[in-house]
Amino acid sequence: MLLAIDTSAGTSVAIVDAQGVVHAECDSTDSRTHAEVVGDFIYRCLADAQLAVTDLTGVVAGMGPGPFTGLRVGIVAARVFAFGASLPLFRVVTHDAIALGETAPVLIATDARRKEFSWSTYEGTDDAGLPIRQAGPALAPAAELATHVPHFDHYALREAATVRAAHLATLAHLMKANGREFAGEGAIYLRSPDVTLAAGPKRVTA
Amino acid sequence: MSWQLRRATPADLDAIMVLEVSEFANDAWSRDMMSAEIVDNHGYYLVAHPVGKPTQVKAYAGLRAPLRSGQADIQTIAVAPDARRRGIGRALMYALMIEARDRGAEELFLEVRDDNPAAQRLYDTLGFERIAVRPNYYQPDGVDAIVMRLTIPEPQLSPAVGGMSQLAIIPRAAPANRSLPNNTTEPLVLGIETSCDETGIGIVRGNRLLANVISSSMDEHARYGGVVPEVAARAHLEAMQPALEQALREARIELHEIDAIAVTSGPGLAGALMVGVAAAKALAVATEKPLYAVNHLVGHVGADVLRDDGTEIDLPTIALLVSGGHTSLLHVRDLVSDVELLGETIDDAAGEAFDKVARLLGLPYPGGPQIDRVAAAGNPRAIRFPRGLSQAKDMEKHRYDFSFSGLKTAVARWVEREQDAGTDFSIADVAASFREAVVDILLTKAVAACVDRGVPRLLLGGGVVANARVRELAQQWCDAAGIQLRIPPLSLCTDNGAMIAALGAQLVMAGKQPSTLSFSADSSLPVTQIQAR
Repeated sequence: MLLAIDTSAGTSVAIVDAQGVVHAECDSTDSRTHAEVVGDFIYRCLADAQLAVTDLTGVVAGMGPGPFTGLRVGIVAARVFAFGASLPLFRVVTHDAIALGETAPVLIATDARRKEFSWSTYEGTDDAGLPIRQAGPALAPAAELATHVPHFDHYALREAATVRAAHLATLAHLMKANGREFAGEGAIYLRSPDVTLAAGPKRVTA
Repeated sequence: MSWQLRRATPADLDAIMVLEVSEFANDAWSRDMMSAEIVDNHGYYLVAHPVGKPTQVKAYAGLRAPLRSGQADIQTIAVAPDARRRGIGRALMYALMIEARDRGAEELFLEVRDDNPAAQRLYDTLGFERIAVRPNYYQPDGVDAIVMRLTIPEPQLSPAVGGMSQLAIIPRAAPANRSLPNNTTEPLVLGIETSCDETGIGIVRGNRLLANVISSSMDEHARYGGVVPEVAARAHLEAMQPALEQALREARIELHEIDAIAVTSGPGLAGALMVGVAAAKALAVATEKPLYAVNHLVGHVGADVLRDDGTEIDLPTIALLVSGGHTSLLHVRDLVSDVELLGETIDDAAGEAFDKVARLLGLPYPGGPQIDRVAAAGNPRAIRFPRGLSQAKDMEKHRYDFSFSGLKTAVARWVEREQDAGTDFSIADVAASFREAVVDILLTKAVAACVDRGVPRLLLGGGVVANARVRELAQQWCDAAGIQLRIPPLSLCTDNGAMIAALGAQLVMAGKQPSTLSFSADSSLPVTQIQAR
């Protein structure tokens, strides 16, 4: 029984069992209220599923890619929830969850703000039925996706405006059952902080 | 065995037809009909198979939901006999219901054979209601069809949660537990602070400090000459769990022993605050502990209750909070219910002015300690820099407000003039004179507030209090004016989680209700709002 949290787009929290049954799900498409709703969503998912924290067997974190301010809200919530409940944390690449169930070659594209997309390509499935990522996740200007994505024409474009945590949980169940390696520790920001090195003080007199 | 659902493709047609023919012996769809359904844009067909065996289709189900029509139908569902009673049918139904909702359907219909009570029970538990019977619908058997409908309500909107929608099929949740902590006399409280560049986790028992762990990203900001919000927020994410673990170790307690959690909800850097707020909410739900969202500035005042010198904070008091992010003058009558903002900076915070002047003197970041070090050898009266908002004309509107932008510019002009003239000026004198001007403004206003309000007590807080000259002059001025000066231990003056825990404990001890789980990270939370709901 996994609790999954993803804030790479809106806020999505879900509880899904090993058979793929979604026991509860809360979603918001608002991309500016992650920190407001995430606590309520976790609480409500547990209440709606009539489960106690001790009924859970793990926590799934959507590691992105996603716009950074919102993305880390879900990651920190997942990490700290897992810590607080003494549960294992399973990190998954959000695009992998979106691609789950796709069998034809697909290009997953999610909004990265600033007129850019985060993208990943998938083709084929492994022996566990998990989509195989061919390239990405990476950033590209929204208008130039075709020139940035290798073999662009080969893939069916799937522009995902929303992400469902239930898919992350299902993916994590499958990865776990098949001994797959989970994503790395770090948030997948794909973008460095907007800073420039201090250039020394500016003159105030002419 | 684990099961996986995936979208059906034409390649699944053979497997589906085997099931279709065996399950619906007398009224199975034709192969052509099924083939058309699977690829239809208005349709959504799923198959279920054991993990790792994608071709072993053991169940399938189909939805017809034209976009924006408002209505959708469950077309078919079948589970192989050897795969039943494992929740696969329910999982398929859930997936189709969610897809219907995503396609904008408000109502979902299905028909079920009157002689199939198992299926009817499943639909009942999913929230479908019986709305009609079609006699003799299933031919040639002559069995009635029961028509069932699930009403998918409008996505629920609440003002606090814009655009939130909840899956229609799950019952309404009970309100979050907002009961008071078990221990309200000497509560064990864990505090989380992330308003700027310090990840602070503190643990207190009542007024007693048990742990104060601070993980600072200051070094990462040094090369940029000031706090970079995004760099600070990223550092909070990485530091949060290690800091929590370390604080629990230092306090020698287990997480479950905690009575309540407190967190800074503002004011501060929005992106940084969000990390602490989300962490605190997740921790509160995971541990089922009450959560208190508190004001960062009042937390600085609250730090004083943690002094271990046997003295207690006397109220009311005037409080002067000076840091890289704030310069505020408060009239504190009660820590948990009555804090008044007398004045604050109208431009730069005092700490910011230290950083900027340090930079133009070629000193590294953070500027406060550097200015302090260099100024030690300088003459504080060498240069008379302006004192902002201290003239008679400022007293009406800005009696207790501060301004450091003009001072910073005045220092820059002075330095540029000397440099242009090739003068070999004393950096020590500039630093000392600048620092003197800052301290002068701060203390003039603070002492005036004490006198005006008839409150002979002044409490200092914030990182700038670490500045030796600030403390030294504050003592002199207060002694001269008959004002009792209180300065919390320096480790509690800079941003920290212990002060947040301390304020949380005060709220618990005063019998205040915990906050809800839906408060926001509020970068401009007014100081009068001691606890966010």
